[in-house]
Amino acid sequence: MSINRRKFLEMTAALAGTSIMTTTMPWFSVFNNPAPFGMGASDRIRVGIIGVGSRGRALCLNLLELENRMNMKVVAVCDNYEPHYERAIELTHGEAEAFLDYREMIDSVELDAVVIATPLHEHAHMTINCLRAGIHVYCEKAMARTLDDVKAMYDTHQETGNILLIGHQRLFNPVYLEAMDRLRKGDIGPITMLRAWWTRNTDWVFYENTGGRGTALDRQRNWRFYEEFSAGMISELGSHHFQVANWVLGNQPLSVMGSGSINHFTDGREVWDNFSLVFKYPEKIHFSYDCITSNKHNGMQFQVLGNDGTMELESNLQFEEFPEEPPSIQGLIQNIEEGENETIPIGGATWIPDTHLRLGGEYISPGYELDDTLLYLEGFINFVRAGSAPEKLTMEGYNASTWTLLAEEATKTGKEITLPDKYRI
Amino acid sequence: MGKLYHNRFYAMGTRFHALIPGIEETHAERIFYQIKMEVERIESKISRFLPDSDLSRINRLAAKKPVQMDPEMSDILNACHYCWSLTDRAFDSTLRPLMEYWKEDHEDSLNDSDFKNIIDNVGFQHLTLDESDSTVMFDNDQVELDLGGFGKGYALEKVKEMLSDASIDQAFISFGESSILAIGDHPAGDKWRIGMNNYVNPGNTVHEFRVNNGSVSTSSNFFLDDAGRLRNHRHVINPKTGKPHEPFTSVSVSAESPVLAEMLSTAFLVSSDEKINEVMNHYENLEVIRVDYEPGNAIITQF
Repeated sequence: MSINRRKFLEMTAALAGTSIMTTTMPWFSVFNNPAPFGMGASDRIRVGIIGVGSRGRALCLNLLELENRMNMKVVAVCDNYEPHYERAIELTHGEAEAFLDYREMIDSVELDAVVIATPLHEHAHMTINCLRAGIHVYCEKAMARTLDDVKAMYDTHQETGNILLIGHQRLFNPVYLEAMDRLRKGDIGPITMLRAWWTRNTDWVFYENTGGRGTALDRQRNWRFYEEFSAGMISELGSHHFQVANWVLGNQPLSVMGSGSINHFTDGREVWDNFSLVFKYPEKIHFSYDCITSNKHNGMQFQVLGNDGTMELESNLQFEEFPEEPPSIQGLIQNIEEGENETIPIGGATWIPDTHLRLGGEYISPGYELDDTLLYLEGFINFVRAGSAPEKLTMEGYNASTWTLLAEEATKTGKEITLPDKYRI
Repeated sequence: MGKLYHNRFYAMGTRFHALIPGIEETHAERIFYQIKMEVERIESKISRFLPDSDLSRINRLAAKKPVQMDPEMSDILNACHYCWSLTDRAFDSTLRPLMEYWKEDHEDSLNDSDFKNIIDNVGFQHLTLDESDSTVMFDNDQVELDLGGFGKGYALEKVKEMLSDASIDQAFISFGESSILAIGDHPAGDKWRIGMNNYVNPGNTVHEFRVNNGSVSTSSNFFLDDAGRLRNHRHVINPKTGKPHEPFTSVSVSAESPVLAEMLSTAFLVSSDEKINEVMNHYENLEVIRVDYEPGNAIITQF
């Protein structure tokens, strides 16, 4: 990892002082200027984890890796589901205190920070109680199940002055950092449209043997299927890309329209198995988004379309609209257009691209092997140590979350939805 | 009468240019994207770089058991087998392990047991094609198929059919510059005049092929990039010796069939003059040029 890490730090250092680092993505400067700290126990950042399910487990492993190079420690873990509670103890080798109830955890353990990876509808009260208890919060996306909860989380962050970050990991992806820099410089010309999609062919069942859809156990374990707990793929997948769209355009949408249905997985789930959305942005730009779980042909992608080129952010590639033709082809075109048949020196050994080209696309950034979630958590620990994080980072989470819920509303009402003033901040 | 349509895409590790004169744009676009999809389909079938390709599956399994092929894959390997025997083993798609071997410096291969092991076990003779049940099998696990000297020509063969089906009577297609398909006449009249680059005298040509409804394929064991740097030397193996073809040589073959031109240009790079003449007697309208490069000099042999 060291070579990529070095390249990454070179890249962030090179961008220091540019508008990218000062306004668009100020959080990246933390890697070149980490908060100073001592190695003593008194300087140790004490972290708790709430929710050690599929996502929480990955975050826990990331935090354990950070323990090796930062003065921090996972001192408490919590999950109200017995098998995950046991797993959390095992993952932390019994070194972290384990709890079934997070309230008990924040009451009895001294914590600087928590990482929350519970079902969506649980985020709000957990975040709010932690912030009020003086604990900084990293909460998985999206923020909450309702707009009121999203706003309440944000307001509590403001009132308490404690950090609230939402886990949209692309915010810490070096490819996106480089891409934003190139977009600002006009590499692909004026941006005229965004297109993104996330397609899968999966029943999306996280836990089998729950007794089927609708049972209490299924509602608890496969919570993503139930309206009460989740907006389905809109919140679990789409919210990532909605955040990216806001970020690329440096704006939030003016409105969203959409439609969704359950046309294949008619097993009693309550959330769409396919949907389609159109977001309108300022400057007459549209963002078209679709998602499906019954066909994976198109994979997942986020395209930024400009008049001179295209960026495919999920595959780290950039394409030119009008690449310069090789001289032989230029000559031939000129010949044909001028009505002359002259010998064109064209034949020879097979042309092969330079290494930075990949089938016509150019890599956006070489730093694509770094794990963005790990970088985000490293940033978070640094912010905790410093006592504050860039407000723009919190806002990215806020705007992505509000528009996630508005998008859901659009698919349910068929109306063009705008952001009510009371949620505007 | 429309104007000139030109577009490009990338496939098989190189660039593909299509020029279609006198065509209405929407018509041209449909044909172009159909061609692109067909080329990509072929690549996804015969690429050794794609783990899911038919070719990769054969390479993984054929040393263990006979591997069933679809009719197209069967046709492809039969064509390779035919060309292998036609050229007296000069065209051989199984030499990849030798290429890998020679990527490192080996001064004295005669005493190297690795080399002996490879040379004894690679070659099309170690491959059995059973036409009755459409299977292929290798007799040892050193054999590895690589259709690098075949794929672009095969793709152009398909493109030629597609252009014909679409009633396009004029077109110029360059696949990586080494495989060219010229349909009909040049819009200014007369055949397409396809010049072969002269590598010791850039911008000049060593030969000109005049082509109508035909193809020109060039094989060489080196490549000069746009900046004039030498690249990719030693990737052509002489099946007779198992060693890289060291002299700087380039062979261009013009034939009506793009896939035949492709296979023969590959084979003739390591064939004797007698053998080239013998094969040429099999076909009408073949034209073959060999260029042997010496410092500052290009020696041209026309067959």
